[in-house]
Amino acid sequence: MKAFLNYLWIQFKIDLRDKGTLLNFYLVPLAFYLVMGAVFSSVTPLMKTTLSASMTIFAITMGAVMGSPTVLVRMRESGTMRAFKVNGISGSAVLAVQAISTFIHLLLVSAIIYIVSPLAFHAQVPPAPLIYFGVVAVYLLACIGIGLLIGVVAPNQSFATMLSMVVFLPSLLLSGIMFPASMLPAPLLWLGRFFPATFALQSFYGLAYHSSTDIGPMLSLILMLGFSLVVFILAFWRLNNIRQNEGR
Amino acid sequence: MSDSVVTVKDLAKRYGSFTAVNGISFTVAAGEVFGLLGPNGAGKTTTLECLEGIRKADGGSLDVAGCDPQSQEHNLRSRLGVQLQSSSLPDSIEVREALALFCSWHGVPFREDLAQKFDLVSLYSRQFKQLSAGQKRRLQLVLALVNDPRVVVLDEPTAGLDVQSRASLHEVIRSLKDQGITVLLATHDMAEAEALCDRIAIIIHGSLAVIGTPQEVTAAGNRETKILLHTSQDSLFPGETIGDAVFVSAKEGYLEWKCRDVAASVTQILGRVQAAGDTVEDLRVERPTLEERFLELVEGN
Repeated sequence: MKAFLNYLWIQFKIDLRDKGTLLNFYLVPLAFYLVMGAVFSSVTPLMKTTLSASMTIFAITMGAVMGSPTVLVRMRESGTMRAFKVNGISGSAVLAVQAISTFIHLLLVSAIIYIVSPLAFHAQVPPAPLIYFGVVAVYLLACIGIGLLIGVVAPNQSFATMLSMVVFLPSLLLSGIMFPASMLPAPLLWLGRFFPATFALQSFYGLAYHSSTDIGPMLSLILMLGFSLVVFILAFWRLNNIRQNEGR
Repeated sequence: MSDSVVTVKDLAKRYGSFTAVNGISFTVAAGEVFGLLGPNGAGKTTTLECLEGIRKADGGSLDVAGCDPQSQEHNLRSRLGVQLQSSSLPDSIEVREALALFCSWHGVPFREDLAQKFDLVSLYSRQFKQLSAGQKRRLQLVLALVNDPRVVVLDEPTAGLDVQSRASLHEVIRSLKDQGITVLLATHDMAEAEALCDRIAIIIHGSLAVIGTPQEVTAAGNRETKILLHTSQDSLFPGETIGDAVFVSAKEGYLEWKCRDVAASVTQILGRVQAAGDTVEDLRVERPTLEERFLELVEGN
């Protein structure tokens, strides 16, 4: 356990030093948040209500889905995973450390957005802050699971980026965080329901802001949890599968 | 061998229809530096990977410091140190962090002693991507030693290094031997193998072609010695066989013969030079090298 925590602490520091990770986890999401926050709050005052939630969904999706897969693919490509394995650091430990480290970074970004939104953009403070962060945590799990899965499925970095974009763009455009999902044609509305961002927004609206929702907020939360479980299991299974194939 | 630390018996490994390793057997004694040589794709790395427990063997038995690498991976990690042929670390990890990470994962205290011994202390705050190729290899070697292994596997540790870094790493390998650590060294560099290894094995097409000390391996091949001679008046004619010495070529003022009985041939050639009233400007006797023996084996298939 001590070794695991030591690895986690080192990984956390590595993430802060790595320019790519820093951009994906902190700089781009926060810069986007500041620009979009200013635009949304002046053009569409109604968006102020749930600004924290929508920008948190953006930041988490960006960091976990766009940022974390490339780190894993790079570790596999460069032989770092093999070097770790021959020194007893299992692939599962690498995956777990990546997941927890990403969780902490993106939780910090979410907290920054939560604190800054009412101060800078007069956004509404959610009436149920604990539930708000509960939804943040569940959405983090779902997105980190997707990130890990892409990281162990993609054969190279360019393929990983392509897969990440396939998840990232529809999450942004079809979930309702940029504009109300009700404006979308029916097929796209349904397509949006394949991505956890849609259910995250519904959970935020219903549970943390006590607003009306299109999908039951509790059902949305449960679906996200189930989705997280599935993608985590798939990611760990795939990694184990890669290891076995490498050893054959 | 009773004090063998590594035993490989009838090791076989296939990738589909391709046989990478075909019934290799050898033992390595405690404290020995054992070299594995062979052309690319000969099966050296596959053999080492089976010993490292990262590749499943299709046949045969293995023993590394009392562990079966195929089934006792946990025990193996505490007795074996590995420097892989192609491995890396996260670009932004600092040298001190890498050392701390591997020490904690092996359950040993931070190895300041190793860092001092291998001159890594001054590099503690340097990130992996900022290290030179030689410094990276040195760090990876130290990481392979943090658990005080009984056996260390080094897969082409000096490939791509400059002369100074190579010499420095050779010193390290010698010091491992002095400490009684058994070293398995895969290399393409014949001079390195001759300088460092107590015994070597040459693997070709997945089979063991020859095994022994570098001298034994060299001597087992073509026993002909080269004699090169340059005289002031070029009194000897090219193409002339002198006693046992068979003429080979004339190049840049030198005449070259090959012979088996060096002493007799040199005496006869010098006698002819003296008889012609000529004087010797340069005389060289070159025994077959390990590299020539290696090429002989590879080209002779």
